Amino acid sequence: MFGGLHSHRELPSPTALLELAREFTPRVEVLGPTPVLLDLRGLGRAWPTPEAFGSALIDAGRARSLEPRVALAWTRAAALIAVRARDGLTVIRAGTEAATLAPLPVALLDLGADLGELLARWGVRTLGELAALPRSGLAERLGPAGPRLWRLARGEDDAPLVPAPEPVLFEVTLELDWPVDGLEPLTFLLARVLEPLCASLKRRGRAAAALELTLGLVDTSRHERRVRPAVPTLDPRTWRTLLVLDLEAHPPRDAIDRIRVRAEPTPARIEQLSLLDPSLPSPERLAETLARLGEWASSGRAGSVTLLDTHRPGAFAMGSFAPGRVRDAPGRLPGARLALRAFRPPRSAHVEQRGGVPVLVAAPGVQGAVIERAGPWHASGDWWDGGWSREEWDVALRGGGLFRIFRDPLRGGWYVEGELD
Amino acid sequence: MSAPALKKKLEELLKERRLRSEAPPLHGERQTSPLASGIGPIDGLVNGGIPRGQLSEIHGPSSSGRTGIALSLVARSTVRGALAAWVDPSDRLDPGSAQGAGVDLERLLWLRGREGALPEALAATVTLLDAGLFEIVVLDVAGVATRDLRRLPGATWIRLQRAVAETRAALLLVAAAHVATGPCGVRLALEPARPRWSGSGPGRLLSGLGGGAVAGRHATRRAGFELAAL
Repeated sequence: MFGGLHSHRELPSPTALLELAREFTPRVEVLGPTPVLLDLRGLGRAWPTPEAFGSALIDAGRARSLEPRVALAWTRAAALIAVRARDGLTVIRAGTEAATLAPLPVALLDLGADLGELLARWGVRTLGELAALPRSGLAERLGPAGPRLWRLARGEDDAPLVPAPEPVLFEVTLELDWPVDGLEPLTFLLARVLEPLCASLKRRGRAAAALELTLGLVDTSRHERRVRPAVPTLDPRTWRTLLVLDLEAHPPRDAIDRIRVRAEPTPARIEQLSLLDPSLPSPERLAETLARLGEWASSGRAGSVTLLDTHRPGAFAMGSFAPGRVRDAPGRLPGARLALRAFRPPRSAHVEQRGGVPVLVAAPGVQGAVIERAGPWHASGDWWDGGWSREEWDVALRGGGLFRIFRDPLRGGWYVEGELD
Repeated sequence: MSAPALKKKLEELLKERRLRSEAPPLHGERQTSPLASGIGPIDGLVNGGIPRGQLSEIHGPSSSGRTGIALSLVARSTVRGALAAWVDPSDRLDPGSAQGAGVDLERLLWLRGREGALPEALAATVTLLDAGLFEIVVLDVAGVATRDLRRLPGATWIRLQRAVAETRAALLLVAAAHVATGPCGVRLALEPARPRWSGSGPGRLLSGLGGGAVAGRHATRRAGFELAAL
């Protein structure tokens, strides 16, 4: 026997009906958030009558504020069609499917606009009228869809029930006989938890995007941590290192008597290696290295840099370090160049001018008479947003050193931007 | 295409890629060649480049071309597809200059320090070397005060040399004065450089820098080099 479960109300979650159905049977076919179809084979021992089962299902649904509709029938098609048409509980006895469905509108078959319009022009409005048409005539006019619709209108199945796989929870719990204190013994215990967890993920072609670690403490409180590396990984050693590094930064306040690790699964990374391209760094190794850098990475002081699309000198943004494939064959490199060793922020300076050109520069760590200079080079921008402006000079000082200095007309001061090296 | 013809074409392709000096390392291919900067006189001075598995050093006074040479080394590594790291306890690296030198910024890990971050920078350098992911790690201590460098324990540089000795990476120290060099590392001492100017008056330009470098255990080899302006 099959059970159709449907709700015409807005569901609190897309899986609300599925979760309700799984309380009664593990074999459930999902046809969207609603309806869902239950396979009731073998439940005759638990429930004396179909009506008793249906009432229990409706009561359980009402307890969750779902107001479900339930239809029980001996065919999958009859249960699905009836549950969409009738409120409350409908039980269709064996052999009465066609008669029960006959007064229901033909639109319940999900015909589509063209076919629905065609049947309406033929004057076919109910399932009974469709079932009364000759099957061979429908096949001649509608092709393979004709006999299929004819069978559905009579409540006969056109496909078997396809149960949805049960959700797998990737979680391992370890109850300890004796509490452990400190990270060193915990490291060994984490290995015992992580190895079966990663093996379970691997068997299902999954990797863990994040791990939730819950440590039960002796004082009955819980110490919860969540670790999410830059890339999903399946290596228990990498996970152990990441968890231990996280716990070093956020240690539990008491001894531990229970360890639970739950993985957030994601499809495992499948990478086609290339014979001719340079090998990419292992993402696991990279994530582990960045985790070991600790404070540098967490405070945003370690990463790769991107130049911003602006003329403002020294504008850049830091991002996470995730090198991709080499895009092109190595091209011709520019020749060796001078580089700026920037002062952040630029050092405020006293600059003496003679004839409009700087002749002396004095700033913390930078002092001397200007012996040679190039400039001024004027630049400005972002006038619509506060704006910046500068008059730039490259100067060589008598004591040695080549510096880039600039005058800011908006703030009215001189600054040393950096040393040219 | 028949199987023998396909095999022949593949072999030719492999041969061509292997014989090209700019070819990236293939899977499983061990790289032992030194890292060249692409600046002919400097590479000639240090026997082709800075060696892997060694602590090498470029030191010199202000504006002697230390950073320009170091960025040239990093640029040649990153365009081949290798990764590089720049440990910068004084936060002095200019990303625009790095890109101008040809560095692939996506493949450069930049660690920006704060005031007094030298011990953390040294620990981070060891972490980066232990990872084995980077072909070149640059530790820029040119902006660090001499008294801070002297306060470091004497074993600091031995520990760094031991860390890099286990890897195929090159560790390059950029400093204002001689700090440390590995037993087979390169010590490149730069001399005060002369800026080159072009034009006169308001249109005058800084066109580059002419520098000199000395290498060798007894500072017996010398070469001049040129760096173009930014």
